[in-house]
Amino acid sequence: MTGAVPLQQGMLPDTIANLLGLDAFGIAGDVVAALLGAFLIANFLLINTAFAGPWAKRKITAAFTDRIAVNRIGPFGLFVIVADAVRLLSKELIVPEGADRPAWDLGPLLIPFSALLGFAVIPMGSGLQLADPETGLAFAFAASSIASLGLIMMGYASNNKYSLLGGLRAVASNIAYEIPLIVTGVSVVLFTGTLQMSEIVAAQEATFVSIAGIAIPQWFAFVNPFAFALFVVANVAEVGRNPFDIPEAPTEIVAGYQTEYSSVYFVLIYLGEFIHIFLGGAIAATLFLGGPAGPGPAALGIVWFTAKIWAFFLLTQWLRSAVPRLRVDQFIEIGWKGMLVLSFANLVLTAVIVGVLTTL
Amino acid sequence: MIGILKGMATTMKHALDGKTFTVEYPDVAPEVSPRFRGVHKFSQERCIWCRQCENVCPNDTIQIVQDDQRNGEQYNLHIGQCIYCRLCEEVCPVDAILLTQNFEFTADTKDEFVYNKEQLKNVPWYKGIDPLNSRNPDRGAWIGEGDGEVDYQ
Amino acid sequence: MSLEEPEPDAPATVEEQSADELAELLGDHVIGREEHLNAPGYVVRPDEVQAVLSTLKEDAGYDHLSCVTAQEYEDRYESIYHLKKYDDPTQEVSVVVPADRENPVSQSGEAVFRTADWHEREAYDLVGIEYDDHPDLRRILLPETWQGHPLAEDYEQDRPQVVPLREHANPLQEDHRSEQDTDTMYLNIGPHHPATHGVLHLKTVLDGEQVADVESDIGYLHRCEEQICQNGTYRHQIMPYPDRWDYISAGLLNEWAYARAAEDMADIDVPEYAQVIRTMGAELCRIAAHMLAVGTFALDVYGDFTAIFMYAIRDREKAQNILEDLTGQRLMFNYFRLGGVVWDLPEPREEFFEKTRDFLEDLPEALEEYHDLISSNEILQMRTIDTGVLPPEVAKSYGATGPVARGSGVDYDLRRDDPYGYYDELDWDVVTEDGCDNYSRLLVRLREVEESAKIIEQCIDLLEDWPEEDRTIQANVPRTLKPDDDTEIYRAVEGAKGELGIYMRSDGTDKPARFKIRSPCFSNLQTLPEMAEGEYVPDLIAALGSLDIVLGEVDR
Repeated sequence: MTGAVPLQQGMLPDTIANLLGLDAFGIAGDVVAALLGAFLIANFLLINTAFAGPWAKRKITAAFTDRIAVNRIGPFGLFVIVADAVRLLSKELIVPEGADRPAWDLGPLLIPFSALLGFAVIPMGSGLQLADPETGLAFAFAASSIASLGLIMMGYASNNKYSLLGGLRAVASNIAYEIPLIVTGVSVVLFTGTLQMSEIVAAQEATFVSIAGIAIPQWFAFVNPFAFALFVVANVAEVGRNPFDIPEAPTEIVAGYQTEYSSVYFVLIYLGEFIHIFLGGAIAATLFLGGPAGPGPAALGIVWFTAKIWAFFLLTQWLRSAVPRLRVDQFIEIGWKGMLVLSFANLVLTAVIVGVLTTL
Repeated sequence: MIGILKGMATTMKHALDGKTFTVEYPDVAPEVSPRFRGVHKFSQERCIWCRQCENVCPNDTIQIVQDDQRNGEQYNLHIGQCIYCRLCEEVCPVDAILLTQNFEFTADTKDEFVYNKEQLKNVPWYKGIDPLNSRNPDRGAWIGEGDGEVDYQ
Repeated sequence: MSLEEPEPDAPATVEEQSADELAELLGDHVIGREEHLNAPGYVVRPDEVQAVLSTLKEDAGYDHLSCVTAQEYEDRYESIYHLKKYDDPTQEVSVVVPADRENPVSQSGEAVFRTADWHEREAYDLVGIEYDDHPDLRRILLPETWQGHPLAEDYEQDRPQVVPLREHANPLQEDHRSEQDTDTMYLNIGPHHPATHGVLHLKTVLDGEQVADVESDIGYLHRCEEQICQNGTYRHQIMPYPDRWDYISAGLLNEWAYARAAEDMADIDVPEYAQVIRTMGAELCRIAAHMLAVGTFALDVYGDFTAIFMYAIRDREKAQNILEDLTGQRLMFNYFRLGGVVWDLPEPREEFFEKTRDFLEDLPEALEEYHDLISSNEILQMRTIDTGVLPPEVAKSYGATGPVARGSGVDYDLRRDDPYGYYDELDWDVVTEDGCDNYSRLLVRLREVEESAKIIEQCIDLLEDWPEEDRTIQANVPRTLKPDDDTEIYRAVEGAKGELGIYMRSDGTDKPARFKIRSPCFSNLQTLPEMAEGEYVPDLIAALGSLDIVLGEVDR
């Protein structure tokens, strides 16, 4: 777990402070540098979401269903992003009668912010990391879990029975699948011995096996594919994508907790959902796919990292095209009786292997 | 699990083969069958004002106004109300009312869909197809008298 | 089904009673006899309906109440119970129940046939006959506040349907929680819900996520189709409207229902060549309709914008292209005429045959894809097997027909059992599945597409070799049809969703005096509570999808 780790040259705020000479201003300079860093990271994610939501998602769905999709505005229809932004933001914000106001307004804010918060500790490569606390992994999981609170707030405050059902389903699913998710994540921590994200990435640098001169790195997806599969499944459920989109289930409970939201709040919710998918992909990439690692110079880290989170996004869309939604009871049953058992089995197995390896 | 993977493989195959089924409509005018029934075209030169079309129309879409010498004055057709059953074309003995392949009609209000004979005359052919050439209505059957007593009504 | 190899349970084995035997069986209940073109009619007293129906059901085997027709004469009201046998639908009997002009009350048949529930509610709603012992005699198609009964003689068409505000009290305003049971939640599913396939309103009581009670509220798409037909002439003006009942591309099947009833009523023979064209067109429509049924069912189970829906629509589109070439329209065909069809096959014929053959050749591959995507998917099997269970006896009691009945193992298909068109000359099979669940109904539809393809292929072969001088597409039919006064007929065909029947009574004019549509979706939808109660909400949605209802046909 030691050695020269190129990624750890320093966190993004330090780089910014050095660059702009903010060091001289003491704590105030640190704060400004941190804010600037956060602004940069958030914008990077918002740009990704802008591509993913109004454009890529449509294009991908169209490809799966033999259609063309957005191609009328701009090259490849890319300007639809602008058009959609204008369209969505100029819609009327309809507030349902009897909505529980502060909660109803806070819910849509919580979702994107919880997801963005999770990105604070993700090493995105090319020196892009806001903070690297020793409890990084725990922080990422904790931050993304705040979204559940937003979901139940929205479901409850909307004064709509479909929303209530959706909110309750969201909480049930998040609880059922967060435990296997975290337990599977812990099995990686058993290997690395640390929760610090940069350390986890660094632990995957070493060569696992070398086939015909091509060194395959020690990514945990290769070391323990079973854990990786479990993690991806639990992750898909955690972000609420097919076949686990029980909380939304448009054909059953009409988009659940989002039923009553329009205009800006609708945008916020969808921003939150997409950033959540990306956060899920980011955590999976960090834990199992070597984070920003990839061929080429370390400066390309951000490119590889982006490719990995987009791969997870693509997977969710692929599942959406072909996999039926589970029924709510089957979904919970699989969570508690299947995933939980498997993830603990994986944990025990990993612990035994790690124990044997370290004693040797 | 195998079934799920098979389903995913099928959709991925469709995603990768690049074939699409979309007709890029406003840019490309779609192919329409020669028999397709669209907006009507009326020819006053041919019309003999027999009012059979008005009579057969199932939902009173056609309105004909005549003067006291039974000369035709107006021929109105509500293309928004029409159900495009083509019975008027079928009964017309002189092909004065035809259904073109033209399926595009838009208006701001329903009232604008009430076409008078001038408007009906100016309905363009779709891609220059004259439906009379592509359809051969069996008029012999239409004017059948049955096997029983002849019914002059 | 070919004539050479009769099925082991062929209709011939069903015991048939002569009209006099039946009269004897019913004994004193019968107070008069009528002759309908399709069946003998027995006039019974209005307070003995249950006894008569149950005798006919238990002792004579008439286990299928197809339809209840209500109408008003100058001197009386009348309800007609059209009874059939599931094993042999050519054996029919009509139970005619006159009711008093001033005080139209008649006993309900709901205790014997569950399906009578909705049919009698409709009769009450539109005609105004009241049914004693009916469990829940309310309006069904029109709003509760409607004034008058629209198909009654003295109905004032011009009367404004303005009612006092108090009668428009919002039914949702009261708290639907009952005092005893505070654990349930009342939920309105529809009329604007992505999975109700139109404007259907399900009043659902939920216990957690489970359905404690569900009641369908229909009538949002009621367009007075029966009255429209009563105002049209037999010869031409009625034919465009059947297309609009089940508008999910089942147009030709619907047109055939009217054509069959009217042709039998006016005694018109259809040339064989036209029958083959009709058979081919109708089966193309069936494929198109089943494709949409499978696609929307997948949509309900899979979630928004699954690929299957798009693939199904794509294949349906191909069938519609062929139909457009043949009929000139994609949905509202108006292609049949009494005594034949309006056009021969489009010229050049070879091109049409080739296009259709191409479609049929691609179909097995497309179906293979559907099986890969749908029926062999484990999650879908988890979702659909043993959910929405409809036992055969319950299905029969509700008058379920079509793929819904065949998915419950009820071997009932009018194309074989009551042959019309060219079906009995062709080689095909009736598809049944014994699972009684959502999965079976899905499989039935997928396999029926294959059977329809077989039929179309044989029709194409026949049409290709048909001698040119024999190609008569229409019989010689008078331009005005006036069937004899007081002729009554009920005739049904196998529509995309099941038995689509037409009852017509003539009054000597060129327009029918009563035109009644027996919609398969109407009867099938009635089974929903049986299938959904106790299940989870997602299964309610799946069951509704597997019924494949079209609200245009339910509400008419």
